[in-house]
Amino acid sequence: MSQKFENLSALVDGEDINNISSSSHVLDAVKNDADLQLKWERYHLIRDGLRKELPTFINFDIADKVAKALESEPVIFAPNRTWRDLPLVAKVVPFAKQGGQMAIAASVAVAMIIGVQQVNQVDSDQPFNAAAPIPGIQGGLSPVSFDQTRTKPNSDLVDQKRRINTFMTDHKQQLRFKTIQLSTNETAILDKSIKKQKAQPDIVETIPQ
Amino acid sequence: MLKPSLNKTISKVALILLMFFFVSWQGAAQQEKLSDNFSNNFNSSDSSQAWLAKMSDAIKSLNYTISFVLLKPGVDIQPYLWRHAVNEDGVELEQLNLLNGPGREVVRIGDKVSYFEPNVPPYSLQSSIINGPFPSEFFLRPEKLVSGYEFIMIGRSRIAGRAAQQIRIISKDKSRFGLNVWLDQQTGLLLKMNLFGQDAQLLEQIQVTGLQVTKDPDPFFAKIEPEMLPEVVNTSSSSQFNSPWTIGYIPAGMVIVKRDLRRLTGSGDVVEYIMLSDGLVDVSLYLQDKQGNNPKDNLVGTVQSDTLLTIEHGELDITIIGKLPAATANAIATSIQRIN
Repeated sequence: MSQKFENLSALVDGEDINNISSSSHVLDAVKNDADLQLKWERYHLIRDGLRKELPTFINFDIADKVAKALESEPVIFAPNRTWRDLPLVAKVVPFAKQGGQMAIAASVAVAMIIGVQQVNQVDSDQPFNAAAPIPGIQGGLSPVSFDQTRTKPNSDLVDQKRRINTFMTDHKQQLRFKTIQLSTNETAILDKSIKKQKAQPDIVETIPQ
Repeated sequence: MLKPSLNKTISKVALILLMFFFVSWQGAAQQEKLSDNFSNNFNSSDSSQAWLAKMSDAIKSLNYTISFVLLKPGVDIQPYLWRHAVNEDGVELEQLNLLNGPGREVVRIGDKVSYFEPNVPPYSLQSSIINGPFPSEFFLRPEKLVSGYEFIMIGRSRIAGRAAQQIRIISKDKSRFGLNVWLDQQTGLLLKMNLFGQDAQLLEQIQVTGLQVTKDPDPFFAKIEPEMLPEVVNTSSSSQFNSPWTIGYIPAGMVIVKRDLRRLTGSGDVVEYIMLSDGLVDVSLYLQDKQGNNPKDNLVGTVQSDTLLTIEHGELDITIIGKLPAATANAIATSIQRIN
């Protein structure tokens, strides 16, 4: 029992990849063994978790459980007659229902307005998040008034954007004109402890297959 | 009734313990290896260093055609074609072509790289690498990262329809972003590359969509006429200058690769420019005398995958741009002081 799990574990880890006969043996076992199939699924889930490669939504297979739950559910062929089926009540109930729906729709709309307002307050996806202003700097934590908002003219923002663009353009330009000579001795760049010349023939010899 | 379920629980716990033990043992072994010299570690054929060496060797020596896409937050997906060959004289030929829009074509023959871009007259640089969307220097000299980064062998997976080896490269002191690379099991060429931040959020991604390794160079290279390529532009600034400023904190593995006084093309301001590089990311520093008396807002943000930080520090306005965490940029900026 434990031996077959071990073989499966080795296969999932990719340890047995060279031994084709044994891995095909394990694969055959998996095909015919429901227990191993479950393990197969779990091992891969564990492996993905350890590698931090889990999808955002893990789709656990719950079809079996739903099917079982449905089997145990009593089957009702026709609804019992209730007081709602009386002629007068049957006519009034839809009105009441509609009124209720209106009320729900209205409250949803209110909730959405509040929600949207709250969402709009924090927008973390803005390209430039200005850092919290340092206390003392004008426009920081001063009380809000019409005058105060006007003293920070729009041209400041434009100026800031222009400055950022200047630096970004220059940074890209610098990267574009960066040159590297592999043949010459890299004096400042290359770490002295690394003996590159010596390393290279070794690389050729021990290429992993 | 109770016994099998108990048995199952025990085996589950044992399995998880085993997994953790295996992972931590692997990590410890990796650290041990890294403390040694990089070049001495090619004995074990499955080490991360051996794989990166194989990648570097393959990128330099094989004839290949690779299609890949570049993904950055906030901009459209960018498809590229990347060809490489070694001709009968042993000279490396390389081509990189942006396939959308007006395009951008770069051709490298040996140590001459020619750039053909819209709105700019074509020019050539004397260099052994193409300055493109990928970290070319890392491809050719992965060993440079040893001092600042840790390499972790993750294992196999499937990328672009091929068996791939995954290697995670993380900053030892968490001062820079991490990198996940997937290398082709067979050839060692790059299949996928993810740059991720502290919370493992994705910052930039390169995904190969097609890979062909051929015996002969692609016919494209035969059509290039080397004498028709533009003249080499000399970019090296020979002017030596003594800066009154010194940087107190430079993250492990980073070095100053460029330092000069320049006039910014956009604003005309004179700035001291410093480029820091660790072989994977390049960071630009701009030091500027404080402008006037009106204080500017300190600013930190991201432009696509670059971090931009502007702060006032003493008598200076300092701006730092590059693919590094804002905290590191701030630490570098605030460590700058006048030489006594």
